[in-house]
Amino acid sequence: MPRALILGGARTPFVRAGTDFAELDVLDLARAATAEALARTEIDPGQVDEVVFGNVARPVAYHNLAREVVLSLSMPARIPAFTVGLACASACVAITSAADHIAGGTADVVVAGGSESLTNVPLTLTPRLARALIVASQAKSLPAKARSLADVRASDIAPVAPGIRETSTGLTMGESAERMAAINAVSREEQDAWALRSHRLAAAGWDDGRLAREVAPTYIDGHAVTADNHIRRDSTPEKLASLRPVFDREHGTITAGNASPLTDGAAAVVLASEERARVLRLEPLASIRSYAYAAVDPADQLLIAPAYAVPIALKRAGLTLDDIDLFEMHEAFAAQVLSTLVVLERNGIGRIPVEKLNVMGGSIALGHPFGATGARVVLTLANEMRRRGARYGLATVCAAGGNGAAIVLERAA
Amino acid sequence: MIASQEVASATPVPMDRKASVTFIPADASGVARIVIDRPDDPVNAIDVRLMEDFAAAIAAARDARPRGLVISSGKDGQFVAGADLSLLRGALAQADIERASREMQRVLDELAALPFVTVAAINGPALGGGLEIALACDKRLAADAPNVRVGLTETRLGLIPAAGGTQRLPRLIGLPRALDMILTARQLAPKRALRTGVVDEVVHPAVLLRAATDHAMRDRKRKPRGGKTIVERAATFLPPARAFALRRARSQVLAETHGRYPAPLAALDAVALGLTKGIAAGLEAEARAFGDLAVSETGRNLTALVMLTLRQRKASLEGLAKPRAIANVGVVGLGFMGSGIAQAAAVSGYHVRARDRDAAAVAKGLSTVRGLTTDAAKKGVFDRRESARVIGRVTGGPDLSGFRNADLVIEAVFEELGTKRRVIAELESVLRADAVIASNTSALPIAEIAREARSPERIVGMHFFSPVHKMPLIEIVRPAGADAGAVATAVAAATAMGKTPIVVSDGPGFYTTRVLSTMIGEAFTLLAEGDRIDAIDHAMTEFGWPVGPLQLVDEVGLEVAGHAGDTVAKARGITAPTIVNALVAEGFKGKHKGGGFYLYNGKRRTPNPRVRELLGAPTHPPAGDIAERLTLTFVNEAARCLDEGILRSPAEGDLGAVLGLGFPPFLGGPFRYADGQRQRIITALERLAASRGERHAPADSLRSRKPYFSL
Repeated sequence: MPRALILGGARTPFVRAGTDFAELDVLDLARAATAEALARTEIDPGQVDEVVFGNVARPVAYHNLAREVVLSLSMPARIPAFTVGLACASACVAITSAADHIAGGTADVVVAGGSESLTNVPLTLTPRLARALIVASQAKSLPAKARSLADVRASDIAPVAPGIRETSTGLTMGESAERMAAINAVSREEQDAWALRSHRLAAAGWDDGRLAREVAPTYIDGHAVTADNHIRRDSTPEKLASLRPVFDREHGTITAGNASPLTDGAAAVVLASEERARVLRLEPLASIRSYAYAAVDPADQLLIAPAYAVPIALKRAGLTLDDIDLFEMHEAFAAQVLSTLVVLERNGIGRIPVEKLNVMGGSIALGHPFGATGARVVLTLANEMRRRGARYGLATVCAAGGNGAAIVLERAA
Repeated sequence: MIASQEVASATPVPMDRKASVTFIPADASGVARIVIDRPDDPVNAIDVRLMEDFAAAIAAARDARPRGLVISSGKDGQFVAGADLSLLRGALAQADIERASREMQRVLDELAALPFVTVAAINGPALGGGLEIALACDKRLAADAPNVRVGLTETRLGLIPAAGGTQRLPRLIGLPRALDMILTARQLAPKRALRTGVVDEVVHPAVLLRAATDHAMRDRKRKPRGGKTIVERAATFLPPARAFALRRARSQVLAETHGRYPAPLAALDAVALGLTKGIAAGLEAEARAFGDLAVSETGRNLTALVMLTLRQRKASLEGLAKPRAIANVGVVGLGFMGSGIAQAAAVSGYHVRARDRDAAAVAKGLSTVRGLTTDAAKKGVFDRRESARVIGRVTGGPDLSGFRNADLVIEAVFEELGTKRRVIAELESVLRADAVIASNTSALPIAEIAREARSPERIVGMHFFSPVHKMPLIEIVRPAGADAGAVATAVAAATAMGKTPIVVSDGPGFYTTRVLSTMIGEAFTLLAEGDRIDAIDHAMTEFGWPVGPLQLVDEVGLEVAGHAGDTVAKARGITAPTIVNALVAEGFKGKHKGGGFYLYNGKRRTPNPRVRELLGAPTHPPAGDIAERLTLTFVNEAARCLDEGILRSPAEGDLGAVLGLGFPPFLGGPFRYADGQRQRIITALERLAASRGERHAPADSLRSRKPYFSL
């Protein structure tokens, strides 16, 4: 079966919501990442067959964000584009869809990415107000319009922010992560240590230029944003220990310090068939060897699904965990990362050596724009595999709803 | 009735020719049509036959008595782009021209007098006479398409609307707006035309004819109201308010033209007369003024310039190879110039990848691109959505990533040989072999810039003028060994960017910078001889130059101007004047850099006393004809450029001088000016050569007395 190659990609800096990118919406970010991914891979927009984007908090104006990316960059209008959603693993779906289309021969060059502006999340109306407004807009006469609004109460007027509570369990993400920490006996100290490691490795990754390679400056009104802004170089175990738990103030272990922050940013990768890469004489970073999605009961361990996706992806690749040279795991919470390691080992899949895991930090330090993270981990993994000459790499992302993704990359040459 | 399109119809017309205008009797709807479709012309330019056929069609319509009538074009995206300019070429007698105007007035009066509703369906440019046809209808509908423009553009040619335009437009949209359109020759996009009241409705191109038919079926004849608001109507019909509006317009025209351009004043007179004494008197004034202007020196010169500009689209490629296709343009250097170039390229539909030394510089450049684009959208050049697309077509970064797909790269880095060579070397390491590299420089010889290049044959010059979004000229420099395809590609890009390209040979200062520097050098000499700074500049603006030479140096910046002057002087083996460098040494570097020949205090500008001290010579009262001496220096140097083969043709010399350097357009350009007053110019130059130095000796081609243009 033809393999899909990752030619390269780019991401915007990841910045805390409400900071540098406050004025940019999800399309601005998506198109910045796409333009840079195309420029850096030296792909002419005319070569692109398809654009796929992941996004979670979707503004009403962008029913199909990917298509707006195509149009706003004046890419050829004939390029079909679609937007996918799998919560925090959305960009993984974008990438594996692209890979499937290339493998199936229906596309030769695909841009796949994800974008999120958690500053500009779309607020909604209360259901009662929304219903009343729709009915009113359809009513024929003024009295009828007035009647349809009669039931609206004062408390309905305030807009509703999108919840991060699981619909099926009513628990927030953080509360679910607290559960995971408890079930897997992950201590506060272990979590803080993991968070500290994430910040230190991310800082090192920037200092030696490895992370700078994947990040493209983003230009806003005459100034350039060039770097991630959440990495805490001055973090210490003491500082982390002093933070109050957020979700369970009495018995909890999860703090703002050992969880990923709300983040704005976008990332995109360019995938191509081997044939097309050869014709264009472009050197790929890696190929997609296999992938798997798995899901668990959200009421159990909400973010543990990657531990179940990994063995499936490995099996499809004909590999074992020991064959993998490098791992990138999305860090929603330190508790979730450590729980995943525990469960993988407990289930007999194997032990991930931490020195091969998130070698330039992870989402706790870098940030986590929901829709974009999947593309970020794949891009980081592919770049670092290439730099190290690694043969196999594994990227995992957990997602709300109990979903999880695992993607196996292989050295291209 | 003249407009901006011109197509030479060289093919002889057979006797059984196809009519230019056809009457189509009413169908079931009761609406008849008149279709304009000149068989030998892609833009329906108005010629004598077209008017004859139009008259016949109107007569047929009158006899048929349909319920309504739609006037439309038989061509896709073309309505009527104005009169065929080739009509005015050659020595037509004033009486003939006047008669042509009256004839068209009569035909359009008949159109206006038809007893049923008439609707113009404007699907393309409706300029000059084209708009006047539409104005004679009861209603005007325009298609919402980028090529649709309406305007009375005659004053640009030194003429006035002479088929009722000066009469019908004020009555339709009110005096103030009408004067603005006529005096500035402004062309309006559909939405703006709707807001102004020139058109009544803007619809999608696909429904234009149906909508026009609907109006012709349903509407009634109506009388124009003289504007949308009570204020506009008052300014049109209420004598004191009208007098005030006319006075204000007149003083504005005089301030802008220094009385050098008679057409706007004649248009004002015709408008005024029509409103005070009635349409008949106004039409009479229109026709007479049109005849006068068409044979006047100014009218002929301006018309010739417009024709040269139009022809240059094709002529610029003569003798070159086929241009390569361009989709992606690279721009290196995102300063004010580079940003302007990137923006102009994006407006023309190219994808632009730009690069500057660091992210901060890129951010600043991209922000300039955004600003230029949103400003253009505000002015109605394109709509807001298109402006978003233009901005989306420009991306940038601090390295050359994304340049491998560039078909053309324009470098606009600092004017220094070493810097430029370094950029060329970097580009050569990433570009495709068939990509063209263009250097934007105002004076550095391209051969010098390309000397260390691996493939110098693909390196050409593209000399943009500042500010890029406003200046209509690009000087394409063709070094001796350049590949003709590379030169052609740069020419095609310039045309695509909406600019007029001229192709010149390589050499210090090429053509434009060389003639300009030579003239400015002469201004320095005048200064040293004792002429006052403000006297020199004032004489030049009075003569018709947009800005005096010393003020221009201040605006360009003394270092840049000095550098260009030195380059040109060195190449010609003369010593460059020292005053500029002396001023720079004291910190006077230009208007925004500590002053120059003037000192700037807010909006006030006073001559810099230090200049006189540095020169050490006393001033003398204004003496001699400053403007003539400087202008003749310019003309003489232009002639030398032609003689030396820097210029390909006098036509390109005139275009370069007028469009790039502000040579007074009413003179038609240095070569047309020389043709018109050759004997006087030769005598004056010989006198200057005797008294002021051999540099003034007339160039060979001037002395030869053979005209530059065949008349």
